[in-house]
Amino acid sequence: MNEIDIVGQVIGGGFGDIIVRQKSTKNLEIGDLLVAEEDSSYLIFQVFTLEYGSQIQDRMQEMMSGVNLEQSVSNAEFYEPEFVNYVLARIKPLARVLKSGNKVSLPKSMPSFFNKLRLINNVDLKFLQKEGDQIFIGNIRSGSKVIKEAEVWLKAEDVFSHHILIPATTGRGKSNLVKTILWYVLDTNKVGALVLDAHDEYFGRLGVGLKDHPKAKDNLVYYTPANPPPGAHRLSINLESIRPDHFEGIVEFSDAQFQAIRTYYRRSRSHWLTDLMLTDPETLAMGGADQHRAEIAAVTMSVIQRKLRLILGLERTEDGHVISNHEVFDSTTKGLTTVDDIAKDIEQGKVVILDTSRLGDEAELIVGNIIASKIFQTYKDYKAKGELDRKPVATVVIEEAPRVIGEDVLTSKNDNIYSTIAKEGRKFKVGLTAITQLSSVIPKTILANMNTKIILGNEMKQEREAIIASASQDLSEDDKNIASLDKGEAIVTSIFVPFAMPIKIPLFEDLVKEKGTKQVSGKTKVF
Amino acid sequence: MKFAHLSDIHLGFQKSTALQKIEQDVFEHALDECMSRKVDFILIPGDMFHVNIPEMRVQKFAFAKFKQVYDAGIPVYVVYGSHDFSPVSNSVIDLLAETKFITKVTKVKESTNDKIVLDFIQDKKTGTKITGFSGLKAGKDIAYYEKLDRKSLESEPGFKIFLFHGGISELKSGTEPEGEYMPLSLLPKGFAYYAGGHLHKFSHQKYDNYSHVVYPGTLFAGYHSDLEENARGLKRGFVLVEFDDTIKNIEFVTIPNTNYELIEINAENKVAKSISTELQTRLKQIDPANKIVIIKVEGELSVGKTTDIDFSAIRESLAKKNALEVKINRNKLSSREYNITPASGTNKDEIETNVFKENIGEIRLTQKELTGDEGVKLAKRLLKDLGQPKLETERAAEYNSRIEQNAFEILGLNKDDS
Repeated sequence: MNEIDIVGQVIGGGFGDIIVRQKSTKNLEIGDLLVAEEDSSYLIFQVFTLEYGSQIQDRMQEMMSGVNLEQSVSNAEFYEPEFVNYVLARIKPLARVLKSGNKVSLPKSMPSFFNKLRLINNVDLKFLQKEGDQIFIGNIRSGSKVIKEAEVWLKAEDVFSHHILIPATTGRGKSNLVKTILWYVLDTNKVGALVLDAHDEYFGRLGVGLKDHPKAKDNLVYYTPANPPPGAHRLSINLESIRPDHFEGIVEFSDAQFQAIRTYYRRSRSHWLTDLMLTDPETLAMGGADQHRAEIAAVTMSVIQRKLRLILGLERTEDGHVISNHEVFDSTTKGLTTVDDIAKDIEQGKVVILDTSRLGDEAELIVGNIIASKIFQTYKDYKAKGELDRKPVATVVIEEAPRVIGEDVLTSKNDNIYSTIAKEGRKFKVGLTAITQLSSVIPKTILANMNTKIILGNEMKQEREAIIASASQDLSEDDKNIASLDKGEAIVTSIFVPFAMPIKIPLFEDLVKEKGTKQVSGKTKVF
Repeated sequence: MKFAHLSDIHLGFQKSTALQKIEQDVFEHALDECMSRKVDFILIPGDMFHVNIPEMRVQKFAFAKFKQVYDAGIPVYVVYGSHDFSPVSNSVIDLLAETKFITKVTKVKESTNDKIVLDFIQDKKTGTKITGFSGLKAGKDIAYYEKLDRKSLESEPGFKIFLFHGGISELKSGTEPEGEYMPLSLLPKGFAYYAGGHLHKFSHQKYDNYSHVVYPGTLFAGYHSDLEENARGLKRGFVLVEFDDTIKNIEFVTIPNTNYELIEINAENKVAKSISTELQTRLKQIDPANKIVIIKVEGELSVGKTTDIDFSAIRESLAKKNALEVKINRNKLSSREYNITPASGTNKDEIETNVFKENIGEIRLTQKELTGDEGVKLAKRLLKDLGQPKLETERAAEYNSRIEQNAFEILGLNKDDS
């Protein structure tokens, strides 16, 4: 080890909490990655706490400060201060890397006493080489220093089918991270992604966005309810595509109300919504030959109709038709194939963005539910037919995830498609990419199933605790580390990485500048 | 003022003489109707012909009719469709354009790798500004729209019409054939009328910024399934549009073609014999004379093979009763006794081998060379040979004879032995 590279030396502590004295000319940071060389391997450590150390008693230090402050003595200090006062770093072992073959394993021993440490460099991280169909998450970060050459790539199929959780508070770079991940997803057709974009921020309707990817024309599909830009689709879903189960876990219907809805669906199938809305609640009791209808109370029907009117914008016209005033739902002939078209795009490994920014909460979730249900069912069918291996992994990207997988939602309402995917989607290559500010309200069983977590900065202690408790690696010492994550900085914890990796996510705008569509001169032959 | 909008006429598609006559009749009838209704111009956005150079018979009657329309002073504005498109401007459309009987509307002002600037053609009599793109095979024309300079088109004042040939995804109902569809947003906004071709059913939809998106559908039939739709009662015709500086009225003008009989039989879980009986009973109930008879049998037979139903005899008996044409659709008819089991593989060759291997045991044969691995090899050789394309210089009869001879050789048979 080169003397100039040395940043500290092991002086004590125990396994998982080793104490290092910092070299006086160096300036360690929380999160810094350090390396201790051994014969055939090297150990990687991470700084999790910094504190002062001194050879002088506290009372003496206090007195010296008094001399400085009260007697206006300038430059009063101890003889050879770099020996007397210093910084102690507490570090934890992350990985042991065998020099031959770059094999990474969990460390089970400690570095030798007085072992000297240096900061990590790109050569130490050679084991992070990209192999096969992988997606880029970010560059390894040591403290606030980014090691540009050390890129973190994860195997797309594994990561997406085992669900991803992105816990983040506002302003910590969540949207930048999702855009970056999707940018790399667009490179190949190995991942189909359904993105419910509640803020219409991913496509780049006004500024830069995923539309600027060189393969966007082939692999990106954008649906928006109004005024679609050239090449985008109008988001329109025909009422015939809606089934009663699409409301489950999203809209609160009582048992009696759900039963009434299902009765109508059984009887009228694709026209159930129209038939239900055209029913006069007052005449229900006189259901006549239709015994099932006679069993539905007038008040039940009124409540169902009111709820559907509000959510789907349904109105009954004077001439006995049902129309929808909603931007997305259509009662005529529009949007009959939207759900199938989107499911087909996902199956072909495309990224489908639905601009749901203009929809109400429930309408957004119902739209997502209709499409996600179709995808899930299609993939289940492929598994039954033995064709699943040939399909790309599918993921549903949803913001404010507790709306559908929150504890209160799952206990008060039935399971919805999102929780079903979270629980059993892995078997069918369908995963969730859930973004949330509140991990603590997601049930532990679901959190534990989210096998990759990309943790961004979070100032709420309760949230940090929930994340740490469900992480794939031991992050018990990382509370302060997570709290101090700056914008764009993250920690990746996953069953697919050897240790919790501190990363820096590149700025999406820089990515577009570097890799975005470039104009080529020439001529297009028009026939 | 008014204009007519026709599309997907597919002249030259029909193979039988009876249907060729209907094809010609409806085309002539439609243009006669346009002339008698004194339209100011006619729009045909693609697939006027089924191929870019149809047989001389078709060219002759098409030229004769377009000359009449030309002499009546009615301009015809067209774009290529995916069927009659020619990359070297060497089609009968180009010939008609050369004679000034029709006008191709795609006029490129500027074209680079990233941008296509279109110009308008102005109809002299009405002042209508017309532009558009041709339709290319496999939706390749979508690239045109991605590069289209919309601003120059959208900012142009006046009554404007855009011609296009392609499917619009927003207009899909789920019954259309598979293929490329483009989002409506690729069309430039703010035109008074979007004259579409490619979809074979009449459709008229309104959207924000796209006030009238219209497909008249085919005049008779351009796919075999069109005849089935006709038999179900779907009306065919063209669209007549009244306008001044905006659209005043859009009317679908029906052009009758012929009479049909449609016999549909569900064969699911039935015995082949009973399907034959049911077919005979149903056929006795109809008068097929001067009608197109369509027989559709679907489902999985529980007993018997699909070949146990003698469709040839049915066809012959209907022909004797003067049916114009008999179309038998048994694509979705299968048999439980013998069904092809799918098999997977990493490439075409492997899939073919595996499918033969999976299925060869299903057939009871005594000849050793037709069973086991030998049978698979033989089947693959035969399949490869039957898949050979026709040579450019080869006539159809020569091609048939060559393929037949090769097949006999592979099977080790002598044609004369039979």
